[in-house]
Amino acid sequence: MATVELKHISKVFSNAEKKANKNIPAEATHAVSDFNLKIADKEFVVLVGPSGCGKSTTLRMIAGLEEITDGELYIDDVQVNDMEPKDRDIAMVFQNYALYPHMTVFDNIAFPLKLRKTPKEEIKKRVEEVAQILDITEYLKRKPKKLSGGQRQRVAIGRAIVREPKVLLMDEPLSNLDAKLRNQMRAEIIALRDKINTTFVYVTHDQTEAMTLGDRIVIMKDGFIQQVASPQDAFDHPANIFVAGFIGAPAMNFFPAKLERVGDEYYVQVEKLRVKLADEKCAKLAAKNVASQDITLGVRPSHIRVDQGGDELQGTIEVSEMMGTEVHLHVKHNDNVVVIIVPVAGSYEKYSKYLKHDQKVGFSFDGEACHVFDAEGKNLEA
Amino acid sequence: MVRRQNKLSKVLLSIVMILFAIYAAFPIVWMLICSFKQNDYIFAWPPKIIDESFGLRTYVRVLTDPVKLRFFLNSYIVSAAVVVLTLIIGIMAAYAFSRFDFPLKKAVNSIIVSVQAIPQICLLIPYMGIIVALQLFNTYWALILTYLVMTLPYCILMMTGYFNTLSKELDDSVRIDGGSRFRALWGVLVPISTPALVSVGLYTFMTAWNEYLFALVLTQTTNMRTIPIGINLLITEHNYDWSMMMSMSVLGSLPILILFLFFQKYFISGMSSGAIKG
Ligand SMILES: Nc1ncnc2c1ncn2[C@@H]1O[C@H](COP(=O)(O)OP(=O)(O)O)[C@@H](O)[C@H]1O
Ligand SMILES: [Mg+2]
Repeated sequence: MATVELKHISKVFSNAEKKANKNIPAEATHAVSDFNLKIADKEFVVLVGPSGCGKSTTLRMIAGLEEITDGELYIDDVQVNDMEPKDRDIAMVFQNYALYPHMTVFDNIAFPLKLRKTPKEEIKKRVEEVAQILDITEYLKRKPKKLSGGQRQRVAIGRAIVREPKVLLMDEPLSNLDAKLRNQMRAEIIALRDKINTTFVYVTHDQTEAMTLGDRIVIMKDGFIQQVASPQDAFDHPANIFVAGFIGAPAMNFFPAKLERVGDEYYVQVEKLRVKLADEKCAKLAAKNVASQDITLGVRPSHIRVDQGGDELQGTIEVSEMMGTEVHLHVKHNDNVVVIIVPVAGSYEKYSKYLKHDQKVGFSFDGEACHVFDAEGKNLEA
Repeated sequence: MVRRQNKLSKVLLSIVMILFAIYAAFPIVWMLICSFKQNDYIFAWPPKIIDESFGLRTYVRVLTDPVKLRFFLNSYIVSAAVVVLTLIIGIMAAYAFSRFDFPLKKAVNSIIVSVQAIPQICLLIPYMGIIVALQLFNTYWALILTYLVMTLPYCILMMTGYFNTLSKELDDSVRIDGGSRFRALWGVLVPISTPALVSVGLYTFMTAWNEYLFALVLTQTTNMRTIPIGINLLITEHNYDWSMMMSMSVLGSLPILILFLFFQKYFISGMSSGAIKG
């Protein structure tokens, strides 16, 4: 059993701490504000958000590397605010691996066990087990300098899991790897979950990583949690414009629009295009008694269709990217660029015209695809 | 054509370099030669490289004289103590500068830098006063403490620079793996700082081994003198024992020469790696 609970956790970096770093402005930084989260045993939680949003700081507070300014942190229902990192029974994988360069791979992985005075034979057995899991047995005698990036990352993971910690923390562990290796290691981390009994807290700025790895993802911005949800939920029902734009690639398109209520039905109007929202959405809005108002309308690139006839929005193709099974169009519409994904189904004739520059194109979407956000950016359905 | 020019400039360069090497090596070679001769033959004219007095006799005289051996012992004790203390104190101070923020950090740092800028002769009288007040006059500690003032600033600045190039995640990693900051410093940072430590250690040893002024003033009795003073004591009113001076100089240079040859590899890489950041 290992649960982690953060209650109203905040972190403020004071002036004194910052003077050392000239890149940061002079007043205090609220790196993390009122962070609340309960992580279940063996859950895989991903903290995701743009750089500087406070992910690493949150993780380092859980690890005990950073003092908690305000709030309470519990691991297995024991408050650990003032506990030393070594007493928390957590392990951490760092972005730059932080391997000990003067030790062999074996000694690197054995290090946490040695510090805990584990008997020699036990250390050997455990290190070899871990090396087996991570497929690094043949490198045990090498120094980290002689390993590739992916191998180093495995050693770092090995060192973290060898003593079977209650919680495994990972701070952007894949961001130093090239794209191909990153995908491979991501799959291995998913596989690793089934082999070890640990609660995971994983930090990344990459929404794809978050979506593929997390049971739940915590989307952060400027030190505040924006939404805590399963990946699918965050994708289908983003809490606000920020989450809507951050989750999913290519990013969601936004249009200034009008929401109009007619009885229990809702319509959105963008220029001449008028779309009735799906019944389910209408019901939600009606239940909250949402009135007619100016809104921001969000539609994902894959939910926009081109040249259906009728009242459509008009634009000009600026860029078209052929991706194999689909074409990504960047369409200039008023002052915005709208991204549209056109499936490459059937004959060349059907999509070839979208590969042309300056081609005029009409586009539309239906009521299922619409996400409606109020003036403050909140999802009106939520 | 181009190639020939290259070749020519290479030859010219080599000649110049060889001339410089001769110029730099001549005193050392001369010292070496003289150290094998007897005093009366050193100024013989015309000069001979090897004459009938050539032999190890002077060396035997030095190495069998308890007074001279005491100079060497003193130098070794003082230099070794200075190296050990400089490295221990310097490493810990550098770690603090590299990893922590504390009140007056900048001020303390400037003081350390400025100590180096003060001419040592200006410090002589104040130190004399302090050492006498502490009743350390004519002891090893008189020399060790004053030498630390000369060597610590360089050690702290160099090691702070070097530690700054080592990721803080290494410390974090040790602390999470179950160690303390102390363990992170001595178990991880220090072992991987060997090049910098070797170059700092060599510099420290040389400073202590060669120091003359403070050694002259802060010690009094012959049994507390170090080698540089001991060599100078051979110049008396009536007698300049050149051959003895030369053989003592050779024996005095030997440790530094050996250390340099032994640590050459580290020394060069330490100089350059410390230069990246700092
Ligand atoms: N040691 C520090 N001193 C002062 N400010 C810091 C320190 N560490 C992080 N910050 C600030 O806290 C904020 C959050 O940083 P961080 O948690 O590293 O973001 P992320 O990991 O999401 O990119 C940033 O504005 C950063 O500049
Ligand atoms: Mg970070």
